[in-house]
Amino acid sequence: MSEILSTLMQDARVWQGHRHIQTSQPSEPTGYQVLDNQLGGIGWPRGALSECLLDEPGIGELHLLLPLMQRLSHGGKTVFWLNPPHTPYAPALAREGVNLDQVVLINTEDDGDFLWTLENCLRSPVTGLVMAWPGKLAAREIRRLQLAAEAGSNVCVLFRERRYAEQNSPAALRLELAAGDQQDLRVNVLKRRGSWPGQCCSLAMNHRADLAFREVPCVVQGPWSGRAR
Amino acid sequence: MLWLYLHFPHLLLDHVRRSRENQGALAVVDGSGQKVVQACPEAQAQGVKAGMRLKTAISLVPGLGMVRADHHQEARILEDQARWLYRYAAHIVLVPPDGLLAEVGSLQRLYGGLSAVWQTVEQGLNERQLNAWMAIGHTPLAARLIARTGRGECTADKGHILRTLERMSLLSAEFDDKTRIRLQRIGLNTLGEVLALPPNELARRLSPETLAHVQKIQGNRADPKVPWQPLHYFRQQADFVQEIEQSQGLLFPLQRILSELEEDLCWRQQDTDSLLLVLQHRHQEPTRLRVRTSGPEHRAEAFLNLIRLRLDQHPLRAPVISLVLSVKRFLGREATTGQDLLGETQDLNEAWHTLVSRLQARLGDNALRQLSPQADHRPERAWSASEVLRVQNSRLPDYTQLPRRPLWLLKGPQPLTEAPALWFSGPERISGGWWDGQRVHRDYYIAQLASGQLAWVFRDVRDGWFVHGWFG
Repeated sequence: MSEILSTLMQDARVWQGHRHIQTSQPSEPTGYQVLDNQLGGIGWPRGALSECLLDEPGIGELHLLLPLMQRLSHGGKTVFWLNPPHTPYAPALAREGVNLDQVVLINTEDDGDFLWTLENCLRSPVTGLVMAWPGKLAAREIRRLQLAAEAGSNVCVLFRERRYAEQNSPAALRLELAAGDQQDLRVNVLKRRGSWPGQCCSLAMNHRADLAFREVPCVVQGPWSGRAR
Repeated sequence: MLWLYLHFPHLLLDHVRRSRENQGALAVVDGSGQKVVQACPEAQAQGVKAGMRLKTAISLVPGLGMVRADHHQEARILEDQARWLYRYAAHIVLVPPDGLLAEVGSLQRLYGGLSAVWQTVEQGLNERQLNAWMAIGHTPLAARLIARTGRGECTADKGHILRTLERMSLLSAEFDDKTRIRLQRIGLNTLGEVLALPPNELARRLSPETLAHVQKIQGNRADPKVPWQPLHYFRQQADFVQEIEQSQGLLFPLQRILSELEEDLCWRQQDTDSLLLVLQHRHQEPTRLRVRTSGPEHRAEAFLNLIRLRLDQHPLRAPVISLVLSVKRFLGREATTGQDLLGETQDLNEAWHTLVSRLQARLGDNALRQLSPQADHRPERAWSASEVLRVQNSRLPDYTQLPRRPLWLLKGPQPLTEAPALWFSGPERISGGWWDGQRVHRDYYIAQLASGQLAWVFRDVRDGWFVHGWFG
């Protein structure tokens, strides 16, 4: 019995407010040193769900996962994109050094198929990363996915809207993403295993469009004002 | 030369019985539907006999399952049997409607004696739940005659075979009716007495054909047989007495057929990646289901799982009266590509195929896509989606020279509804497509919207502003 209890403590399944525990759970570094520091050196947990909550695409959410995608796809692991809202643009992924042979795009028609597919991907040893854009998910369904994620040991990131930040979720890591002022990505840790949440950090994402800092004030007075720009 | 003859006394009955889950009484009825031709042991125990009128049989056993005898079907089932027998013997002759002849004299050294050949064939029959009477003879006809009387023994002794033949009645010796009656009138009752007659007398008094028949039995006249050649594909059929309404009911016969397929593939040392399952209905066009695996496969269990998924997705349109499983595409089996001793890479490869096949079986072939860049200037044509393939160890082309592009491409350009807050690089003019009529003439900019999203926007010739991608 005490053995079970100590395992629970060790894996940070039981949250202890007065103590920070260095967990020994398997994980993948995010590739962003700032974020890794904020997450207690853990990064993306493997064998558990992660959630990214954001409202609009185009704020650097894919670049957040790009280092992981690059590493996994070259390590022979498959990266699944499940029901993405737009088309992942192959030339851009290839330019960023993602091995496209290991990228599989899946579109499902209904929610039943979506959950079934995600569960199957999570349980397979070939999967390295699953990025999924679910519509509405019931807490029971997230719980089911969490169990499937535990059966495999891969990273699963669900992209959901920010309004779900209020709801509780069994996911092991929950990040709220928002655009910063300097084309950066502000990450707010809503939940993580083994420690207090609430860390905030800002990741520079200028490289996603080859923007330099000094270019920022150089505002072109849009072609809106006149044809001769 | 020694010949082995297999006589199937009730092949059609065996064929139907082994595809059934519940073993109820069953009988084969002749073409006109008047008489019982074959009856299974359960039916026999309740008093049904071959030759009985159908009405009598039904009044004895009200729940009697009936199968109508059909010559085409019987010929096809016989060929199915020849196909597995071909694994053990090379020279096979079909003797329709219910016999198979195999040359076994040349197999003795391979198997280590005639009794080993006999046992191998017997085991094959048992595995397939078939009843057959076997016999060995020094001529094809002798083997056939002995087998049909059910007195076959595993012996290569010619004297013994001849003694068995001599004791045979004229009826079992398969003389035509006219000859038999004439022989009986002469006062002959057994085949031995006919064999004892001098050949010249036999030809003169009866007919040259009778002499030929007798000499073929004895082996004094050549009786050439053309060997049968199997077609290079797998085909198995299961016929049902009662129509099957639930797809669950198809799994039981499929299990047997798939394990035969697995055995067949193992024997060929080949794999396959597509199966054709045809479900026949009584009043409708047959349903054709093509089951594909993403990679070479031979295990019955894997096929069964995929078929189960397909059947779950597509409920039966109508009750099924028979199913046919055929495989025409065979792939050479690859040597293990794994470099490591423990074979971990091979395992991963297999897991990949299993996963992709499962997903494709449920979601359809088009649900899974792989992306690749294409050489085209127009952004919407600079990528393509293709069927998922497993590529091993290919050298990646160098893509670092590609221009900067957003990670998200919209499915079609969306009108820009607000003035961007910040403008970054641009314009980048993309003009092309004059060669195929899909003309594109645009200036692309990178701009930030008020919401903080970094967008890839363009202005086209007609002065409209559109968003074409997001820098995700």
